[in-house]
Amino acid sequence: MTTVAENSLQYARSVDEPVAFPAQKRRIKPASIAILVFLAICALFFCVPLYVIVVTSLKTMDQIRQGDIFSLPWSLNFDAWVTAWDKSCSGTLCQGVKVGFFNSLQILFPSLILSIGLSSVTGYALALWNVKWANTFLFILFMCAFVPFQIIMVPLIYITGPGVTVPIGSFNLHLPGLGIYGTVWAIAVVHAVLAMPILTLIFRNYYKGIPQEIMSAALMDSGSFWRIFGEIILPMSGNIMIVVLILQITSIWNDFLIGLTYGGIGTQPMTVILANVVITALGEANYNVDMASALLTAFPPLVIYFVLGRFFVQGITAGAIKG
Amino acid sequence: MAVRWSRWSPQIALTPALAVTVVAFAGSIVWTIWMSLTRSRRFADYTINWAEWARQYVRLANDDIFITALKNMVILGVGSLLAIVFGFILAAMIDREKRGEGIFRTVFLYPLAVSLIVTGLAWRWLFNPTLGVQNFLHQIGLTAVNFDWLSYPSTAMYGIILGTVWQGAGFYMALMLSGLKGINTEIWSAAKLDGVSFWRLYAEIIIPMMKFTFLTCAILLSLGVVKAYDMVYAMTNGGPGQSTWVPAYYMLDAYWQKSNLGLAAGAAVVMLAITAVIFIPLVLLTGWQLRRREAKAT
Repeated sequence: MTTVAENSLQYARSVDEPVAFPAQKRRIKPASIAILVFLAICALFFCVPLYVIVVTSLKTMDQIRQGDIFSLPWSLNFDAWVTAWDKSCSGTLCQGVKVGFFNSLQILFPSLILSIGLSSVTGYALALWNVKWANTFLFILFMCAFVPFQIIMVPLIYITGPGVTVPIGSFNLHLPGLGIYGTVWAIAVVHAVLAMPILTLIFRNYYKGIPQEIMSAALMDSGSFWRIFGEIILPMSGNIMIVVLILQITSIWNDFLIGLTYGGIGTQPMTVILANVVITALGEANYNVDMASALLTAFPPLVIYFVLGRFFVQGITAGAIKG
Repeated sequence: MAVRWSRWSPQIALTPALAVTVVAFAGSIVWTIWMSLTRSRRFADYTINWAEWARQYVRLANDDIFITALKNMVILGVGSLLAIVFGFILAAMIDREKRGEGIFRTVFLYPLAVSLIVTGLAWRWLFNPTLGVQNFLHQIGLTAVNFDWLSYPSTAMYGIILGTVWQGAGFYMALMLSGLKGINTEIWSAAKLDGVSFWRLYAEIIIPMMKFTFLTCAILLSLGVVKAYDMVYAMTNGGPGQSTWVPAYYMLDAYWQKSNLGLAAGAAVVMLAITAVIFIPLVLLTGWQLRRREAKAT
C-alpha cells in the first residue's frame, strides 16, 4: 500500500518542474460544486439545534403550541429571556438562571488561578529543571489524565468535606478534609485537581520547546527557580496561556457533573440550574423559557468561541494530542 | 545545572502537584477499590470479608440494569464511530476544496463550545413528540416517518447517538484536518499525475498514512463513551424506564439514590477497568506506530 505512495513520490521528484496547475484562471468544476453543496447541507444540519434554540426562545407559548418548530417567531419577544434570567424555577428556588450565572463566575476565577498556577509551575519544573523522577511522574500524570471521574468522585467528596477516619487495627486514624464541600470552593478545587494532569502535560510540552541556551544563560545570570519563571518563562508563555485559559474557561463553564456533585443548594453552577429548570420542573413546561435558559447558559463559551476561535481549536487539539 | 541553590527549588515546586497525584488520584483510586470490596452502605465501612470479597461485583454481574448499562455503552461506542467517519469525510472535503474552509470549520466545531447539557436539552426539544421535528414532518405530509425516538426503549439510544455524533463530529474533523495537513502535498499532485482514482487515493494512500490520527480519535472516543453521562441525563434522564442507563449513570444512581457506596465503588472500578482495557493497548499501539514512523523518517 505504501509502495504506491513511495513510487509516486519518486516520480514527482523526478519531474524538474513542480507539478503546477494550469496557469489559466481555474473555473469552478462540477466536483467542487458537489463538495460545496454537500458541506453546506452538513453545515445546515449543524446549525439546526442552535437555530431551534434561538427561535424557540423568542416565541410565545401560544405560537409554540401551534407546533411548527422551525418557524420564525411572530414578533421579537424577549419575555422568555427575562423570565429565564430572573424568575425561572430550579426546584423551589425561583430566581432564574442568574443565580447559576454568578455561581459559575465564582467557581471560574479561583479555579482558573489554581489550575493554571499549579500546572504551569509543575510543567516548568518538569520541562526545564533536572528532576530525576520527571519521566516517571509524567507517565503517571498521563495515566491520571484519562482516569474516569467516577473512580475518584466519592473520595473527593470526603477530601473536600469532613475527611476520612480509617481504622487501622484498633486505632482510628483521622485524616482531616478541607471542609468546603457544598460551596463554590469545593467545585473550584475539584476542577483544578481534575485539570492538573492534562494542563501540566500541555505546559510541559510547550516549555520543552524553549531553547536550552536561554535556560543556561538565565542560570549563569544566577537566576533562581522562581525568578527565571517570573522574569523569563512567564513572559514567553503568552500564547499557551491564552490557549489553556480558553480551554479551561469552556470546560469549567460547561461542566455539569462536578457542579452537581460538589455544589450545594445555592452554590450550583449554571448548567446544573439549567438542568433543574428544564428537567425537574414542576407544572406545565414553558419551552420558550427552557430554551432561553439554555441559550443564556451557552452564551459565554459561544462568545469566546466566535471571538477567539483560533485559540479554542488549538486548545482542544492540544488537550487531545499531547501523548 | 547541578548548582547548590537550584537543587531543591524544583522539588519544592513539584510538591503540590505530587500531593494532588498521590492523594486525589492514586490514594482515591485505591480507596474506591477498597470500598468496592466491602459492604459499605451510606457510609464507608472498612472491613472486608475476604470470603466474599467479590460480592459487589457478583451483584453487578447479576443486575440486569448494569448489564443494560454496559450494552448501552457498547451501542453508544459503535454508534459514535459515525462521528469519526463523518468527521473524516468533512475534513477530507474541506481539505480538498479550500474555499470556505474557515466558515465550515467554525460551523462544524461550535457544538464543542456548548455544554453537553445545553446540547442534550436542544435535542430533547427537537425530539419532542407533539411539538418537535416529528410534528413538523407530519405537517409536511411525511406521516409515515417516526422521529419520536426518545419515547421508546428500542430507539432511545439512537437518539442519544445522534446527539453525540452531532456534538463530536466537528472535533474529529479538526483532528483529521490537522492530520491531513501533515500529509506531504507532493502526494496529492503525484497521485493526480499518476491518475490514481479518487477512491483509491483515499483508501490506499491517505487513510493508511493517517493511522496515527485515527488511533488518537479512537482512544478519545472510547474514553468519552465510558464516561458518557451529561448527554444521557439531559436527553432522557436514563429513561424510558432504565433503557438508556450507562455505567456512569448507574454509578451515580447507586451512590445518591440507592445510598450504596460499595455498589457505586464496584461500578466505578468496572469503569476504570474498561478504560484500562481499551486505553492501554491503544496507547501502546499508537506509541509503536509513532516509533515506527520516526524510525522510517530517520
